[in-house]
Amino acid sequence: MLAANLRRFVGCAVREFTFPARKPGCGSLHITTDACWGRCETWEKPVLEPPFVDSYQRVCTYNQSRLATVQLPDCQPGVEPSYTYPVALRCDCSVCVTSTTEC
Amino acid sequence: HEGRSLAPGCHLHPFNVTIRSDRRGTCKGAHLVHACVGYCESSAFPSRYSVLLASNFTHNITSASRCCTISRDAKVRSKFAWTAPEGATNEEMEILTARACRCDMCRKSRY
Repeated sequence: MLAANLRRFVGCAVREFTFPARKPGCGSLHITTDACWGRCETWEKPVLEPPFVDSYQRVCTYNQSRLATVQLPDCQPGVEPSYTYPVALRCDCSVCVTSTTEC
Repeated sequence: HEGRSLAPGCHLHPFNVTIRSDRRGTCKGAHLVHACVGYCESSAFPSRYSVLLASNFTHNITSASRCCTISRDAKVRSKFAWTAPEGATNEEMEILTARACRCDMCRKSRY
């Protein structure tokens, strides 16, 4: 997506994301993968009954993913070098699921 | 919220709130107030190792999100005159309306 298109983009899409994969006892590795980014419809509106504000909140998050595993470099003896992370296959505006996601 | 534009950001949006004279809705009136409606940025990406460790490797996704919220509100007084078979009544009530909106923390998006 071009920068100009990103400024106007509404919705939720798979987008490239680079992060440093690191864990104690190993060197770090920069990984470029597919993650989710976008703008989802959200609102708050006054209502007459308590709690007097009704809300609708959806966030751009993984709908479908697969796991990928890389080997981190320079691990100390006895440290498992593998590092597993999710790769987004499909992203959607939905609730943030606390069982799988740090919300 | 029909009629709003599909534009990024978080904006005031007028809508009619329906006021009823009683639970049966014998008489109904409408009052124009404002809500906050919009499209704020959100993203989800692989969690850092510290998050994985703290969640016992269950939270492998981290969500960073903003939602359209009411940042400033006001109470407006509204007068209603009901005319029912039992007689006419006047009622004054306070209704909340949004005065300003902003993309802020999503406090109610968790499931």
